[in-house]
Amino acid sequence: MRSDRVLGFEVNRRRWLRLSVSSLLGMKLTGRLLNAQSVAQSCAPSVPQNHEPSNGGACPYPIPWLDKNGNHNQPAMPNVELSSIYHFKGKLARGNGFHGMGTDNKGNRLAWGTPTTDYSYMAGEYWAARRANQAIFAHT
Amino acid sequence: MPVPSSGLTFSSDDKTATVQVSHAPIIDQPRWPAMDAESTPAFLDFKLVFKATDEPVEYENAVQQYRFEGFKANAQLEATIRVPSIDFTFKTDPLEASKCDFAVMGNEVNGKYYEVAQSTR
Repeated sequence: MRSDRVLGFEVNRRRWLRLSVSSLLGMKLTGRLLNAQSVAQSCAPSVPQNHEPSNGGACPYPIPWLDKNGNHNQPAMPNVELSSIYHFKGKLARGNGFHGMGTDNKGNRLAWGTPTTDYSYMAGEYWAARRANQAIFAHT
Repeated sequence: MPVPSSGLTFSSDDKTATVQVSHAPIIDQPRWPAMDAESTPAFLDFKLVFKATDEPVEYENAVQQYRFEGFKANAQLEATIRVPSIDFTFKTDPLEASKCDFAVMGNEVNGKYYEVAQSTR
């Protein structure tokens, strides 16, 4: 369904900027700075040495009935799972349908946002690798 | 991706939350969702503000094991996007000019934490 407002960024109708594809922002509450690659690597399960047990990685557990890339297949709305992480407790806010106007570097006035332009934050505890992990996440 | 510890702040009454992120790596993928859609690096700065209203909400599903308790909210966003490969920059109007169709803020428990919360309720 397309509304009257222009959907997404349009640059002479040739490019869309994908904002919501891959920006899961993570930050440990300790304030330690991590870059995107190191976040992914640091939560990946390590290979046990000398027959040690493996408890899996510390990556957040996805919502079982949604895809692990987040809630791209489920817009935020009443009475749905708003979290992007399973086994989570904490603060959460989520908004959907952000839109407005803006200006590009050539001075063109452009509408931005779609009915599924979705931003959120999650701050609290999630369970992974058989232990509680503290983290803040933002989803764009 | 790096987010400073000050990236998420709350007002003293917890009714306003502000998320601020600079230089977040994203991708420009004009042909998405084509399987072979090429992507190029882009960067996003954004400021996101949620303000809770006085209207409470509670969403719970015992089968899927989640409960969200909070309030309907107003949310606004301002952002700057840069795609260096095509020398493209886009800056939204100031935060106050943006709108959001639906927003909530509050607290969530799900999965194993839902079970624990249920047993102590």
